[in-house]
Amino acid sequence: MRSSRGNRILEYLVVFVIAVSLNFFLPRLMPGNPLALLAGVDVGLMTPEEKAKVKEEAGLDRPLWEQYIDYWNDLLHGDFGYSYKQKAPITKMIGDRLPWTLLITGSSLIISAIFGVIFGAISAWNRAKPVDIGLLWTMILMGSMPTFWLGMMLISIVSVDLQLLPSFGAMTPAFFGTFWESVADVASHTILPVITLSVWSIPGVYLTMRYTMLSVLGADFIRTARSKGLSEKTVLFRHVVRNSLAPVVTVLAIRLGFAFGGTVVVETVFSYPGLGRLIFESVSGRDYPVLQATFLVITVAVLVSNILADMLYPLLDPRAKAN
Amino acid sequence: MKHYLKTILGLLIGSVLVFAFSSNTIADSHKRVDRLRAAIIGDESTINPFTYVTGEPGWNILMMQYDSLYTLGIDGQPQPWLVTKLVRSADRLTYTLTLRDDVYYNDGKKLTAHDVKFTFDYLTKYPVGRFAKDIRGFSSANVLNDYKIEIHLKKPRAGYVRKAFADVPIFPRHIWSEVTDPKKHQFESVTNVGSGPYIMVDYKPDQYYRLKANHKYFAGTPRVEELILVKFADESSSHAAFRTNSVDILFKNIPPEQISMLKGIKGVSIVQGPLFTTQLVIMNYDHKPFHMVEVRKAIAYAIDRQKLVDTIYLGAATVGSNGWIHPKSPYFNNQVKTRYNLAKAKSLLDSVGIKDTDGDGIREYEGKPMAFELITPNNNALRLRLAELIKGKLLDVGIKITVGSVEQNTWEGAVWPDFDVNKGRNYAMSMWGWSAGVQADTFRAPELVHSNTGVGFLNLTGVSNKEIDRISNLMDTEDVLARRVELVKQLQAAIAEEMPFITLMYPDGPYAYWSSKYDGLAYISGQGIVNKLSFIPKSAWP
Repeated sequence: MRSSRGNRILEYLVVFVIAVSLNFFLPRLMPGNPLALLAGVDVGLMTPEEKAKVKEEAGLDRPLWEQYIDYWNDLLHGDFGYSYKQKAPITKMIGDRLPWTLLITGSSLIISAIFGVIFGAISAWNRAKPVDIGLLWTMILMGSMPTFWLGMMLISIVSVDLQLLPSFGAMTPAFFGTFWESVADVASHTILPVITLSVWSIPGVYLTMRYTMLSVLGADFIRTARSKGLSEKTVLFRHVVRNSLAPVVTVLAIRLGFAFGGTVVVETVFSYPGLGRLIFESVSGRDYPVLQATFLVITVAVLVSNILADMLYPLLDPRAKAN
Repeated sequence: MKHYLKTILGLLIGSVLVFAFSSNTIADSHKRVDRLRAAIIGDESTINPFTYVTGEPGWNILMMQYDSLYTLGIDGQPQPWLVTKLVRSADRLTYTLTLRDDVYYNDGKKLTAHDVKFTFDYLTKYPVGRFAKDIRGFSSANVLNDYKIEIHLKKPRAGYVRKAFADVPIFPRHIWSEVTDPKKHQFESVTNVGSGPYIMVDYKPDQYYRLKANHKYFAGTPRVEELILVKFADESSSHAAFRTNSVDILFKNIPPEQISMLKGIKGVSIVQGPLFTTQLVIMNYDHKPFHMVEVRKAIAYAIDRQKLVDTIYLGAATVGSNGWIHPKSPYFNNQVKTRYNLAKAKSLLDSVGIKDTDGDGIREYEGKPMAFELITPNNNALRLRLAELIKGKLLDVGIKITVGSVEQNTWEGAVWPDFDVNKGRNYAMSMWGWSAGVQADTFRAPELVHSNTGVGFLNLTGVSNKEIDRISNLMDTEDVLARRVELVKQLQAAIAEEMPFITLMYPDGPYAYWSSKYDGLAYISGQGIVNKLSFIPKSAWP
């Protein structure tokens, strides 16, 4: 048992090292370079000597392997460095944006978990009945709607035409209200991005729940439970739903990891000041240090959420522990 | 009778004056406004001279907090600002500047000649992109007294007033002399110490900047008390916010298709004028057969630029001149003709033996079909549409184009590797465009076409033409304006004859704002409507 746990930890370590190395190499394998960010928009007007000096200051003139060693060295010392573009410490840049990202992705995760599980259970319990077919079609439709399109539609209808909710940002710029007024302001800015994310996210949870529950409904122990004379309510909640939750929890745990990466499309459509928008702008400008740091955040979050799922699974399904 | 004549004459003069003053300004209601919100795209970091990110809006916001020795007037030409008198030595190597004595930084310290010297010395020691280029040629500065300074150059440099004096912010010695790593230095306060009309009081990454009026500004208290610059991820979300009146001004010019829609909103106004940006098709001389002038000219004749302006820009652009310079420039050579002529295009290709020998509708050159990739950045819908229309027109003359829509950085890397023309070119044809500065300063044309890459450091096509080089060299040393103008006109003719690139059009800059909220904005060609002049009293305009 102990050696199995040791192997697992080793596996995670290997995955971590590979992922962190990819974070370093992948941005550098992309065509183009970050010179425009380093030197400013008028980089083309600089002399070759001036450009060489800029590259030298950023260490980009050195061999890749030397940069790679430095990268690990800085990483182990918790130093993410400075952004090429914003000339600001990356730790602060991530710290400014991560809470906003987690607010919308976390809210959407909770909503998708609740509605996905409930609708999945209703659907499976009423298999092939109109309510199941109706839900299934609705979920397929929701899942196939591009998030950018949905976001733009919501802005156009809810914000521009009906003027009910704000169309951009995490709060009204330079808003100075009481604490509760600020909470209300932030909440009003959160609604449309969260709806957009949830519409995309609920079908995944729904389908997992529905599929798993259908398998459980056909299992022998459900037949046994019914033959013992248990009420349908007891069978549903104590036996069916509970035994169907393990795969759903795994899906949610993995999504929790990716939640740290933000959602590039939604944050862009709503001009939301999150990590996804930062990643998008950093990819466009080849801001290597920011890309490395943000990808690291995602890497660590995904690995931790996987570990969490590994630990939770046996609790929800004792057979996994036995195996 | 005399009385009536006087009245009519008075009315006429009055109308002319009103017209003259309103031609470049949107109006001047003299109304003071508590708060204005302007939408910008992207985050510009903490906006000091070393941390701002882009030329637009970064530099524009920077200059709200700082002042330069000269500033751009309403006509886009540099006008004295911190300077009251400038004397240039006969050898063009020394500028003696007399400064105003009533300018203060927002921390209460006076701006003096010592700050000017410090700024030039500091930028030499710690070069930063735009300003390093601006002050190129600077040798030393000699403070004569608190308000008088000599700037010495290593060699004469044409247009130094515009390049250096009207662009570089003068920053305070007492703050920056302590800073030894300016790009990474983190100040404790978000407030930058500058002498400009606004003081930054709040900065929220990816959200907004809040600027408060500097009530002690030497040119008068700004008419807008608080300026909020709201950051958006892209244009479409800023337009949606504008339509809901969540922002009052769009910093960036709007696309042509938005003009009529926004004009229809009560309280919204649009102001339009030359942007001095360009849309070009460039061809790589190293990629045969673009080394042949007949081929380049044939492509120019085959493109109906007026139709492109009408179809893609809905008329909100000026047709490009083969000589590069905007027809509204006072230095435009009207002898340079730009025509659309399919028959001429075909005959030019025929004349150099590029014909369709296998009857498939595509001509062949040295046995290979005339098929090329025209690359364009995928984040610019207008350029993509232009490329698609050009593709259709070139097929009419037997040239097959494939439009390659690539990511911005990849596109730049193919056309301009490392932003250094000495590193070659990896494209056949590309859509391209230069920012306003390159076109607005007519005398920068040699940078695009000189074969010596020290001068022609924007020569992306590889053009090498002795006549162009000769005229460009003369321009560099000629100091008499009339002679320089004559030379720049000759250069336009030579460029049109060589056709190293095709100037498709000069887009107009339509800018949208809620005039019902504030109607005192100043439109500066190539600068837009969010600039210093828009917010200071009109009486202080240079």
